[in-house]
Amino acid sequence: MAHSHEAHQRSPSVWHPASGREAWRLKRELGEGAVFVAGGTLLRTQWEAGLAPYPAQLIDLSGAADMTGIKQSDEDGRGWRIGALATLAECRSHPGLAADFPLVKEAARLIAAPAVRNLATIGGNVLSRTGDMATALLALDTELLWLNDAGTHAEPLSAWLGRDREGLSGAPGLLLAILPSDVSGISMISKTRRFCAFHKVGRREAFVPPVVNVALNVAFDEGGAVADIRIAAGGGTMIPARLAAAEALTLGRTPDASLLAALHAAVNDEYAPKPDPFVGEAYRRMTAANLVAAALWKAGLDARASGEEGEPCC
Amino acid sequence: MLLNRDTSGRRWRIRPDGRGKVTGELEYLTDLSLPNMLIGRVLRSPHPHAYIRSVDVSKALALPGVHAALTAKDVPGLNRFGIARPDYPVFCEDRVRFIGDAVAAIAADSDELAELALAAIEVDYEPLPVVDDPERAILGDSPLLYEEGNVFHRNGYKFGDIEAGFAAAAHIVEEIYSTPRQMHTYMETEGGLFVPGEDGRLTAYSPTQHGFMDRMQLSRILAKPEEDIRIVSSPIGGSFGGKDELNVQPYGALLALATGRPVKLHNSRWESVRAGLKRHPMKITMKTGVDADGRLVAHRAYVIADKGPYSTLGAEVLNFATEHVVGPYRFKAVDVDTVSAFTNNGMSGEFRGFGGNQAIFALEGQLDRLAALLGMDPWELRRRNLRRAEDPGPLGQPISVTGGAGQVWASLEGSALWRRRSESPAPVSSAPWLKRGIGAAYVMHGAGLGVGIPDPAGGRLQLRGDGKIEAVFGYEEFGQGLIASLMQMLIETFGFAERDIVITIGDTDVVPDSGSTTASRATSMMWQSLRRLRGPFAGKLLEAASRALALPAETLAIGEDGIRDAGDGRLLLSYAALAGAAGQPIAAQAHFSYPTSPVDRVGAHYMYSYSAVAVEVEVNTLTGRVHVVDQYHAVAAGPVVNPQGYLGQIEGGSSMALGFALTEDAVMSGGHYLTKNLDTYLVPTIVEHNGAVTVDAIEELPEGDEHGPRGLGELGSVGLAPAIAEAVYRATGKRASKLPIDPALLQEPIRFNEGGERHDRESANIGGAFRQA
Repeated sequence: MAHSHEAHQRSPSVWHPASGREAWRLKRELGEGAVFVAGGTLLRTQWEAGLAPYPAQLIDLSGAADMTGIKQSDEDGRGWRIGALATLAECRSHPGLAADFPLVKEAARLIAAPAVRNLATIGGNVLSRTGDMATALLALDTELLWLNDAGTHAEPLSAWLGRDREGLSGAPGLLLAILPSDVSGISMISKTRRFCAFHKVGRREAFVPPVVNVALNVAFDEGGAVADIRIAAGGGTMIPARLAAAEALTLGRTPDASLLAALHAAVNDEYAPKPDPFVGEAYRRMTAANLVAAALWKAGLDARASGEEGEPCC
Repeated sequence: MLLNRDTSGRRWRIRPDGRGKVTGELEYLTDLSLPNMLIGRVLRSPHPHAYIRSVDVSKALALPGVHAALTAKDVPGLNRFGIARPDYPVFCEDRVRFIGDAVAAIAADSDELAELALAAIEVDYEPLPVVDDPERAILGDSPLLYEEGNVFHRNGYKFGDIEAGFAAAAHIVEEIYSTPRQMHTYMETEGGLFVPGEDGRLTAYSPTQHGFMDRMQLSRILAKPEEDIRIVSSPIGGSFGGKDELNVQPYGALLALATGRPVKLHNSRWESVRAGLKRHPMKITMKTGVDADGRLVAHRAYVIADKGPYSTLGAEVLNFATEHVVGPYRFKAVDVDTVSAFTNNGMSGEFRGFGGNQAIFALEGQLDRLAALLGMDPWELRRRNLRRAEDPGPLGQPISVTGGAGQVWASLEGSALWRRRSESPAPVSSAPWLKRGIGAAYVMHGAGLGVGIPDPAGGRLQLRGDGKIEAVFGYEEFGQGLIASLMQMLIETFGFAERDIVITIGDTDVVPDSGSTTASRATSMMWQSLRRLRGPFAGKLLEAASRALALPAETLAIGEDGIRDAGDGRLLLSYAALAGAAGQPIAAQAHFSYPTSPVDRVGAHYMYSYSAVAVEVEVNTLTGRVHVVDQYHAVAAGPVVNPQGYLGQIEGGSSMALGFALTEDAVMSGGHYLTKNLDTYLVPTIVEHNGAVTVDAIEELPEGDEHGPRGLGELGSVGLAPAIAEAVYRATGKRASKLPIDPALLQEPIRFNEGGERHDRESANIGGAFRQA
């Protein structure tokens, strides 16, 4: 009791490292009782709900200059580096990023509410695993740039989420940045037209976590057949995942009635949601299947409408 | 008259309390603090149902900085509260009956210490079987909350030969309707500051809807004369019925008196969800018959309400539902049976609409289903069965006569929204899964507390020494715009300027007992008060002015800034000068009661308001989600006292109905809330509200009507939900009888036919390329 009395009386110590490396060093020194904090929007809900203890030490990342900013990462303007501390509001409003990655912009637009988006970071949303951003980024072959004792290394987002799904949870270091793949590097096919869509369904129209979210990133060849596709889906407490079987089904085929029906069935099978007391599993499955099938149908329409003048979308 | 800024002209005034509320400058009672105050917290039961074997607060009291730890044995007076029937324990003695039940309370130097002290209180519970289903609760084999049984209250109403009616029916609809455990979700959670005075008095700065009721109840709990207690109760950050009963006040008062220091309590949202009132969930079974001509021949209703563990105004709510499941229709035979059952679920109680929301959702659902069976337009079916102006009320009681029922029917029938219902909307080629539909519902809603319940009203006008005209009423401002409405009435009744007027409300030391600010009654009663005060108060002002100016009273007029020449309007004597010259106070007081029907039936209403609501929805059949795109409300509630207040009540009420219909439900399992906070209990956001709302305010009353403005505060919260359900049916062909509407019900798998190979935007018939089963 005396211990917890003291704990109650004490506010956490707050550290203000100036770089990711310094932040990581502090975490190693301070140990389990120290918690990284960026926007703090998710942490405070966990503290309030009693899901996480109030930490004795907070490591405030906001001064870590190498974790901020959204920029094109190389000289010739190809590739993007989104600092883990970039706020969702920044991700939503950054003109260059929005032009290259409308999926990121759309996911950011649909997360929480303005006051939260001004504080919450893209890194925090990805690390929460169940937000909307991971689903959108999965459809972009994104890599995560980690910092740990071994230095920095990039790892596909899908690999990290996959390990997490296997129960090997936790981050292998401090997330410095998010690196969506250079679109022009993906399956370049001449006269390819690329389209994407992000859809989120919650229990109300705004300011809710996803019950279901889906992201589609598809390119058609000149004959209107699917040349390249990524389909990701998440929502609820499930860890978002690519739907590989559904993707494979569509390659080389035009989105006609039979393909769309088969895709619907495939998503319904492959998508693995978890029910909660508010929304059942069957509803989640059908929602994902409907949204993916509708998105591909719409992309096919748009591809035809855009003809040779099509503009890259992802 | 379509009511909006343009049609209101000069009557569209800036609300006196608007700036402070919009900017956040306004200090609410839960914002108050004092330098030496303590923080109070309440220990609540972790069990929905259990015996208490022992409570030991000694370890909590031993903590430094903890100044009081109170339990049932520390209550000097009645250890119970409740407006209608005091059965709600301040502190439970030997048994807890829901997870909001209080066992002990702490006053400590800080919030953290108080929380620590709560954790140090040792309570030994013996869990009991949990009664969490009202239908099972009233069966013979259910565990009991009370020795007398789990039936809290029964009511009923019958006339005519019901079996003969069903035998003569061409069509019969039987349906079971369920409504959610809706939360008031006021922005300001329950709380207050409780200050003991050196003179032995206690002041409670804490929101309530009836200050004198709180004072009486606190007097009973504290065993302290009412005169020694002062309740300051406005402004309030929302109530909607949820702060009608006592909530934190007993704990604040007891802790302040025990410690001799000011004590502040303010519920977190979590505690507010856990302990606060909710709308009674109701399950309503109806069987209704109609003849081939569309005449309603028989109507049977069985209502079962989930009371939770204590009375609150649950009997009155059930009585209201009993009256309103009959509603505005001329049935040939009616058989209504209603019951409210004690359970170990959350506390149900007063909530805007008061049982009408549930009743009307079911009743209007029956009318729509019958119209579909008849192949008749649903509005025409209502016309054929609608009450006439002189008809008795739903319980056969005499009611105040207005033409409201027919007026709102005609207004909706002529509305642009309703007239386009038969046009099939152009399909959205890029999103053929969006389906639109239009539905409507009819509402007849009683106001006032009803027969057999004391329902006082009144107020006072006085000229203060500083020349201000002071209006003193015992009503509360909880966001509805009561101050703005009173201000507007004073200006328009007497000709004062806004700067001449001071409004004093919400303080039992200075206000008269004007009755409660509930049951859609306050604006009506202020209007009635001013009607009574107008002659006497104006007469006294002019008489005093006449003496001071040595001019005949007939040549004088009340105006802005003071007494004016009745002829040319010149200012002759400022109100300050008049106050000085008068030498004695100039005041007038009114005291009366809300009008009631001359029948011997408790709760029967006399004054009714009417509304008709049409709504257009868009259903996304990929997701089953419903969006309201357009609303039309025809309202017959007498004169518009304050245009913005009127619109605000209809728009705000319909916002609550939108949540009731689509998103809101405090879900419980085994007596525990699953929705513990606003991250899972979902009120509509601005995105849900981006559709248009049109309000037609029908002000006309019969010649010689003496009652003026009718109740408006609840009306808007009733009709939207059944209108949405019908609009959803029109869009999808599916009937929703359970609220909130489950998207899974409306969802359909995408189906593509062979035409789907022509994904051509120019295709004239996109539906041919894209179908849903």
